[in-house]
Amino acid sequence: MTEAVKVPSAKESFLEPLIANNPVMIQVLGICSSLAVTSSMKTAFVMGVSVTAVTAFSNLAVSCVRKLIPGSVRIIAQMTIIASLVIIVDQILRAFAFDLSKQLSVYVGLIITNCIVMGRTEGFALKYPPLPSFCDGLGNGLGYLLVLCVVGTIREIFGSGTWFGLSVMQTVNNGGWYVPCGFLVMPPCAFFILGSLIWLVKTFRKDLQEPNEYDTHREDY
Amino acid sequence: MSKLNKDSVLGTFVIIIGFCLVCSVLVSSAVVALNPYKAQAIANDLQINILKVSGFEVQGSVAETYKKHIDLHLIDVDKGVIADDQVKDVSKYDFRSAAKKPALSEPIAKDDDTAGIKNRAKLMPVFYSKDDAGKVIRVILPIYGQGLWSTVYGYVAVDPQDGNTIKGVTFYEHGETPGLGGEIENPRWQALWVDKKIMNDQGKEGFTIKKNADHQGQGKDFEVDALSGATLTSRGVDGFAKYWLGKAYQPFLKNLREGGIIK
Repeated sequence: MTEAVKVPSAKESFLEPLIANNPVMIQVLGICSSLAVTSSMKTAFVMGVSVTAVTAFSNLAVSCVRKLIPGSVRIIAQMTIIASLVIIVDQILRAFAFDLSKQLSVYVGLIITNCIVMGRTEGFALKYPPLPSFCDGLGNGLGYLLVLCVVGTIREIFGSGTWFGLSVMQTVNNGGWYVPCGFLVMPPCAFFILGSLIWLVKTFRKDLQEPNEYDTHREDY
Repeated sequence: MSKLNKDSVLGTFVIIIGFCLVCSVLVSSAVVALNPYKAQAIANDLQINILKVSGFEVQGSVAETYKKHIDLHLIDVDKGVIADDQVKDVSKYDFRSAAKKPALSEPIAKDDDTAGIKNRAKLMPVFYSKDDAGKVIRVILPIYGQGLWSTVYGYVAVDPQDGNTIKGVTFYEHGETPGLGGEIENPRWQALWVDKKIMNDQGKEGFTIKKNADHQGQGKDFEVDALSGATLTSRGVDGFAKYWLGKAYQPFLKNLREGGIIK
C-alpha cells in the first residue's frame, strides 16, 4: 500500500481531473451519455450538473464508510449508494425541472451506469479520506460538465442556431439566413467533436500523450 | 460481544442490510417529500399541453391563460352527452384509474380495440377552448393507446362546427425510443394532422396514418405520413387515433355537429 501513504490534497484532487486527467477526454469514460445529451445546451448542462452532484456525493459517502465496506461485496455496496443518489437527483429534476427531465428521459437513470461515478468511488474514494474524495468527485463531475458544455455549445449553435434555447443565428425556418447543419444534432457528430477535442488537448499538452505501446525502431521486429 | 468481523459472512450480511436500510429510507423520504412539487409540475405540464392544441398562445402565466381559455367537462362516451353531474368534482376525475375499475369502465370488443387498451372509462374529460368572447373554437379530446413500448397519451383538438376536422394534436406522455418513435413529439409531424378529416363523405373512417400518404389526390384530406424508422409506433398511433376519433367519440362528435352540445 505505497500509494495510500501520500494522500492527495483537496486542491490537487479537485484540479487534476478538470483538464489533465479529464474523465471524458483523457480517461475516455462516460462517452455514451456525452453523445446522447449534448444536442442542446439545456440538457447537456443539467446532465453535467446531475453527474457532478452524484459523483461528488457518492465519493463522499463511499469514502466515509470505506472502512466498513466488506471487500467481497464492495461493488454492490457502492452501487447501492450511487443508485440511491441517482434516484434522488431524478426525483428533484422531476419536481423542479419537469420538462427537462422528460427530455433527458432515461439518461438520468443511466447515471448509475456511468463509468465515471463507479470509477471514482472504486478508484479513489475507497482509498482516501472524505474531503479529498469529495473534491475529486466534484472535479471529475465538473470535468465531465466542461466537456459536455463545449460539445453542446458547438452542436447547438451550428446545429440549431441557438444557445440555451436563445436564438444566436436566425435559422431559415424562422425567416433568418442560417441553414442549420442537420448532421450536428445527430449523435454520431458528437463523436467527431469529442475526438477532435481529445486530439486538440493532446496536441497542446504533450505531457498527456500516452507512450506508444510498441516501439517501431526496435531491432528485433 | 466481540467486534463484528466485517469480512465474515455474518458481518457482510449485517453491513449490507444496514446499508440498504439507510439508503431506502433516504430514497423514500426524498420521494415523499417531493410528491407535492411533482404533482404540481405534472398539472402544469398538462395545462401546457392543452394550451398547445387550444389555438391560444400563453400570455402571462400558464395557469392564467389556462383559466381564461379552457373549460373542463366530462362526457358520457357512449351517449355522447355532457355528464358533469355524474361525479362530485370534475377536476379530480381521473380517466386512467376509472378505466381500471369495472364499475366505471367498459370492456372494448376485441375487434374494435385497435388502441390495445381492453377497457375504457365510461366518462372521459373534454376541454373547451374559448376565445375572449366565450365562443368555443376548439374541442380538445384525450386519446391514448399502445405504441411500441408504452402507452402513448395525447390530445386532439377538433373543430366544433363540423365535429370532423382535426385542428391540432399533441402527445404528452410516452416511452417510445427517442429519435425514432419519440418523433411523435415532433411539432413538424404533428402539424401534418392539422385540417385532416376524421370521417369521409360516406361516413366511414377516413383518417389514417400510413406510408406514402396521398398528398394530392383523394387522400389529401385524410392521410398523414407515418414516421420513418418508427413503423410500429406509427401503427399504434394510427390504431388508437382510429379507435377514439373514429369510434368512441363518434356519438359526441355527431351531437357536436348537430349543435346539440354547444348552443
